Amino acid sequence: MITLGNYLILGGIIFSIGLIGVMTSRNVLKVLLSLELLLAASNLSFVAFSKFNGDYAGQLIVFFVILVAAAEVAIGLAIVVLMYRRLSTIQADELKEMKW
Amino acid sequence: MSPFFFYLFAAVLIFASLCVVQARNPLYNVLSLVVAIFSLSCLFVLLEAYFVGMILLLVYAGAVLVFFLFVVMCLNLNTVLLTSARQSHFRWLGTLVGFMFASSFYLATKSFIKAESMDISSVRGTIEAIGKILFTDYLLPFELTSLLLLIAIFGIVSLAQGALSTGKDDESS
Repeated sequence: MITLGNYLILGGIIFSIGLIGVMTSRNVLKVLLSLELLLAASNLSFVAFSKFNGDYAGQLIVFFVILVAAAEVAIGLAIVVLMYRRLSTIQADELKEMKW
Repeated sequence: MSPFFFYLFAAVLIFASLCVVQARNPLYNVLSLVVAIFSLSCLFVLLEAYFVGMILLLVYAGAVLVFFLFVVMCLNLNTVLLTSARQSHFRWLGTLVGFMFASSFYLATKSFIKAESMDISSVRGTIEAIGKILFTDYLLPFELTSLLLLIAIFGIVSLAQGALSTGKDDESS
């Protein structure tokens, strides 16, 4: 029988993998992808709680999270493209200036 | 039947997200995130959250990750990445923090005994049920989300205009 604990442990594993990715990768694109993993893990926990609590609020929050994540990815990728045009690299270490 | 599918999709999800973090080629990172999102939406369907699962497939795998693929292919990143592949200072620190988080999360979940005893409810996230709540109780956040998307469009357009002007500067200088 699959309980809520199984889904929560799975969400925790995915969140940890994403956290490792955010902290260890210097490639800005990879950091953005790992952020997507973090959001996916929290989405899984929200939907599992919604199912086991008998409340639709969790699924609605997942809906909003998806919308906000789409906006975040669009702006993040625009900044990555700008950074590549400016510095011709996307390594986070190369961003030393605060103002371009 | 359900435990088998849960463990199958969970294994695919964990493997794909490990590939997202570890694969060298940025193209493989994006494509394994597509696999991860796909198995995540399968898990949503197992939880009977049909509407959210379909939205996840359409918006994430359909739009966001294709956008990622466009950027990866436009930037031609392979040469850039391979030439400057130095060791990061934060690699061991980040791995340590990740494992510490995972172990503390495991301990927290083990102590959370109530999660094991909660019964599965009859909530079915169909379009009808989600839509009814979305357009009654959650109408204000829904409209505010459209405002957020509008602001995001403004931000992207202003970023693109800045890129155009700097491109002209580079050509003139």
